[in-house]
Amino acid sequence: MNNSRFILSRLWQSIILVFIVTVITFFLINMAPGGPASIMRMDTTQEARDALTVRLGLDKPVPVRYALWLGSAITGDLGESLATGQPVIQRIGERLPYTIELAILTLIVSVLLGGVLGILSAIRRGTWFDHGVNLFTVLGLSVPVFWLGIMLILLFSVELGWLPSSGTGKANATFFQHIRYVIMPVFVLSTTTLPTLVRFTRSSMLEVLSQSFVRTARASGLKESVVVYWHALRNALIPVISIIGVLIPRLLSGAVITEAVFGWPGMGRLVLEAAQGRDYPLVMGVTVVTTGIVVVSNFLVDIAYSWVDPRIRNR
Amino acid sequence: MKDSQNAKKLDTQNTMDIPTRKEGWLQRLKHHRPAYVSFILLIVIHAVVFLGPLVWRADPEALTMEGPQAAWSAMHPFGTDDIGRDVLSRLLKGGQVTLTVGLAAMLFSLTVGTIIGSAAGFFRGAVDAVLMRLTEAMMSIPNFFFVLVGLTVLGNTPFMVVLVIALSSWMEIARVIYGETLKWKEHEFVEAAHAAGASNLRVLARHILPQAIPSVVVVGTLTIAWSILTESAISYLGMGIQPPMPTWGNMLQDAQQYIWTSPMLGILPGIAIMIVVLLYNLLGDGLRDLLDPRYVPRRRRNAKRITNFFKKKAQGVINNVH
Amino acid sequence: MGTKRKLPAMLGVLVLLLTIALVSCGGNSTKTETPTTSEAPSASQAPSASAAVATTKSDGPVKGGEIAIPIVADPIFNPWHPNAFAESNVINRVLFSGLTKPGKDLAPAPDLAASWETSEDGLDWTFHLRDDVKWHDGEAFTSADVAYTFNEIALNRELGANNVSYFKNVKSVEATDDYTVVFHLTSPVAALPAYLSFNTEILPEHIFKGQDPWNLVSFNKEMPIGTGAYKMEKYISGQSVRLVANPDYYDGAPNLDAVEYRVLPDVNTHVAQALSGELSVFTLDDQAALARLEKSDEIKIIPQYTPRFFWVALNQENPLFTDLRVRQAMLMAINRQYIIDTVLNGYGEVADAGISPALAYYFNPNVKHYDYDVEGAKALLAEAGWTDTDKDGIVDKDGKPFSFLFEVGIQGNLVRIGQIIQQELRQIGLDVKFETLEWNAMIQKDVIRRDYDMMLNWWRYPADPDLKPYLHSSTAGTGYNIPGYKDPELDALLDAGSTTADPAKRQAVYYKLQEYMAENLPYLFLWYPMETEVANVHLKGLPEHLGFGDSLHYIDEWWLEQ
Repeated sequence: MNNSRFILSRLWQSIILVFIVTVITFFLINMAPGGPASIMRMDTTQEARDALTVRLGLDKPVPVRYALWLGSAITGDLGESLATGQPVIQRIGERLPYTIELAILTLIVSVLLGGVLGILSAIRRGTWFDHGVNLFTVLGLSVPVFWLGIMLILLFSVELGWLPSSGTGKANATFFQHIRYVIMPVFVLSTTTLPTLVRFTRSSMLEVLSQSFVRTARASGLKESVVVYWHALRNALIPVISIIGVLIPRLLSGAVITEAVFGWPGMGRLVLEAAQGRDYPLVMGVTVVTTGIVVVSNFLVDIAYSWVDPRIRNR
Repeated sequence: MKDSQNAKKLDTQNTMDIPTRKEGWLQRLKHHRPAYVSFILLIVIHAVVFLGPLVWRADPEALTMEGPQAAWSAMHPFGTDDIGRDVLSRLLKGGQVTLTVGLAAMLFSLTVGTIIGSAAGFFRGAVDAVLMRLTEAMMSIPNFFFVLVGLTVLGNTPFMVVLVIALSSWMEIARVIYGETLKWKEHEFVEAAHAAGASNLRVLARHILPQAIPSVVVVGTLTIAWSILTESAISYLGMGIQPPMPTWGNMLQDAQQYIWTSPMLGILPGIAIMIVVLLYNLLGDGLRDLLDPRYVPRRRRNAKRITNFFKKKAQGVINNVH
Repeated sequence: MGTKRKLPAMLGVLVLLLTIALVSCGGNSTKTETPTTSEAPSASQAPSASAAVATTKSDGPVKGGEIAIPIVADPIFNPWHPNAFAESNVINRVLFSGLTKPGKDLAPAPDLAASWETSEDGLDWTFHLRDDVKWHDGEAFTSADVAYTFNEIALNRELGANNVSYFKNVKSVEATDDYTVVFHLTSPVAALPAYLSFNTEILPEHIFKGQDPWNLVSFNKEMPIGTGAYKMEKYISGQSVRLVANPDYYDGAPNLDAVEYRVLPDVNTHVAQALSGELSVFTLDDQAALARLEKSDEIKIIPQYTPRFFWVALNQENPLFTDLRVRQAMLMAINRQYIIDTVLNGYGEVADAGISPALAYYFNPNVKHYDYDVEGAKALLAEAGWTDTDKDGIVDKDGKPFSFLFEVGIQGNLVRIGQIIQQELRQIGLDVKFETLEWNAMIQKDVIRRDYDMMLNWWRYPADPDLKPYLHSSTAGTGYNIPGYKDPELDALLDAGSTTADPAKRQAVYYKLQEYMAENLPYLFLWYPMETEVANVHLKGLPEHLGFGDSLHYIDEWWLEQ
């Protein structure tokens, strides 16, 4: 009972949240100067511009257009892209899997590597290893993502010729060829999440190591490594779940730049194209879908977290 | 160093729950070597960038006689750029703009965050519900998406760039302030002030907000770092502050076409950005360490507080990566 | 925390990173020798044009192989679609065919139309179509397709189709028999065959009939049916478009098996992939990177003039710019050769008027030319009453300083060029404020609302000297006449040119028009840029005198050296 009420109230909050986000975005993007790329081209006539404005329904006032949009969005219809006439859902569907691939690979790398590095540097707190890891996390946080990407392309694609500079290779590549396309984008995108995970795991681990039950375990004569791996680790990683939810929007943000640098055909590039081309329904669609992803993942993380740590539920 | 003086003054005022600090912030900072060194270096960099043009007087926008992509020389220590302007003077001027954007965006987001966070925490009820939902909504938009749309709407003047960066980064501060307001609102000394007839605003300004200063300083420092990175990233997409006004970000973007012929044009501003952001991050981390109870362990914690700590820590750490 | 060891380690890593960065880029950091004000490689002797011929073994075309071409965004497979931009054009030219195509001498040549003639009064054009053309789905191509494409799509005012501005004078298109169409005009258009070769390919009636042509996604974004040398195999959004040879192509099966277009938004990637041999041929607008490509033995660079000119428009609604001497002074203050040498890497020629040397027959080389002359410019300004009376470095007249806003859309090299021009105009005492606008916003403010003082842009036009749309007083305000310059004398020349069919008479008119343009500066003409085609040396059969865009019409003749 308690649990389902918790879930229901979270669900309600999420819906409100997505609604607020759509209002903000719709009015913002429609306030932007200019208009859809088809109307704002140098080589067209005023007559054609007027005709297209009517055809695309842009002659109606913004609040009316929002109401129309909301009306069909509620029924699950996100409309059609102004640029291509394709359903917005289809255009997003073409790109979303690539961003998800990038995001999941990056998360896996970050969680695994971040976990290991975080735990090791907590155990070896104060040693050169700890400082080294710490230094790299700060460096990772400080380097402009696109600059890092360009430097990597210069080094690995142009000078050494080891890795392809752009694209996914999906069109006719084998799985192993495809992996070569993934390495640099995942590495670059990791700089937005890996440092956070390292730091978080480290401090979480330190916290647990100073807990009384670990001290008890140690005192009871268990070998140190066993203590670390069985007691501390499990308790230290529980809070790490909570951070994953917060990392999702960060990954999607980072994807905009990473995808631009590496010519990766994902949502980041799509949102850029949509905003620049004033493809209003597409901007809205991307917003709804990404906010949805963020909300749902946060929701899942909360549930997972309250499941492993019941104290949360009672707050 | 107004902040540190204030902090010192205030810290001595209310010593009930937080550890006593007998030293000023700068003194404390000295105990944290990386943060202290970063702090000094940042002062040096700001001095060079803001005072440098008094010594190196070349016009950052004028075309020189040497023409484009000239080699490094005494006349032009870092050569000339793609259309023949002095690179050193552009780095200095660009630094002024970039660092100012970082600071201004931080101050702006601090203001917005403080107003929203304290209003929500202080008045609770409907105000709280609306403001904190808004905060959550903003946090769930990937903030780069917001920045892109925002700049499309507002254009790319320096003020708008600052505004958009600030509007996409105030949520963290709002949450910190919100938490602190809730925490201190019910405290005895606040109630005493109320009883003494102080107005809401006065109570908020004089008694509650000062309690949040330490955590806000940390978040603020990290926000500067994030703002500088964001400015360079939007420049990369061609949506940032536009030339002829140089920024490190748009210099880097400009240099992209020339990575084949004059790679230094891109490497110099890239390194400048990285160093400054690194220093701000190190300073922010140091300040956080200094606030961390474990750094000067004093308080006992129960199980419930640990959870809170993790939640808070999670939020705190998140800032870095913004 | 043991903080003492943190800092040295940090500095160490920084140094390491720096070194990596330096090493990784050091390899090609050799300075290009671009002396600032040198006379630089101009048009004819532009670098490496000759290298193209050198290595050819003339063994004749062989069949087989495939090539890759980069595009910067997702295409739309419908030449008339309002969202068909450059990235779509380079594909639609290969998938579809027009009635005519640019000949190897740029004059309109037969494509779907085998021949054409015009009536005495120039109001009816009759096109005789080929009877051996099949759509990719096997249906026969007939005059009904042509009539449908024009009457139902291009000329349908509610659709706002792309490129319709060229067909303003077309009343209707009539299919008189299966293989003959007649274009009925409201007034003569000498350039009609040239217009019909420029992104105006024919669509299949049997697929479009009864459909909304812009929302027919199954065609426009998935499986287009054309008449061209290659047909659609597979399109992956954001990644690639793969076309395969059409064995039934009416000019014979093409040599190459397949053509793959790769969606690569970043130009630096094009350069990198050209160097590694992944990309076969494309136009590189970003001439800065050419310096790197010129060094490669595997790549040839073929510069070619195309009908295009860059210009500065001075809003004629603004009294500041109505005085010819002011426009002349401004043009003289701009060192166009310097910009060509630095930003265009030498690939271009100073323009005195708007008709490009690509249209050699109509290009008049002997017109008034303004050399870069700062003192002369100042003198002209003074003559026009603009002097610096208050010694603030800005010229003024009647107590008002000469100050205005120069707006540039963010696209390609425009911002870079604009900054140079701003600095140069400052030298003659003009207070020029420089602002950049996002492209989309620029079009709305400067082009649609005409709310600007000075702007910088370019025109690309079909291979015909008819510049009427860009200069005629009837196109001021809302049409392509951006500066809003109006003069009956100019109008008369433009009208004469656009209605005269006889080439010799046309040439005389356009020679005079160019003299007029150079003299009166309706636009400040900047330069005729060269299109720099970058091609892998093993790709053969590219028509010698065509730029990349036009040579795509001959893609069936391309072949790969084995």
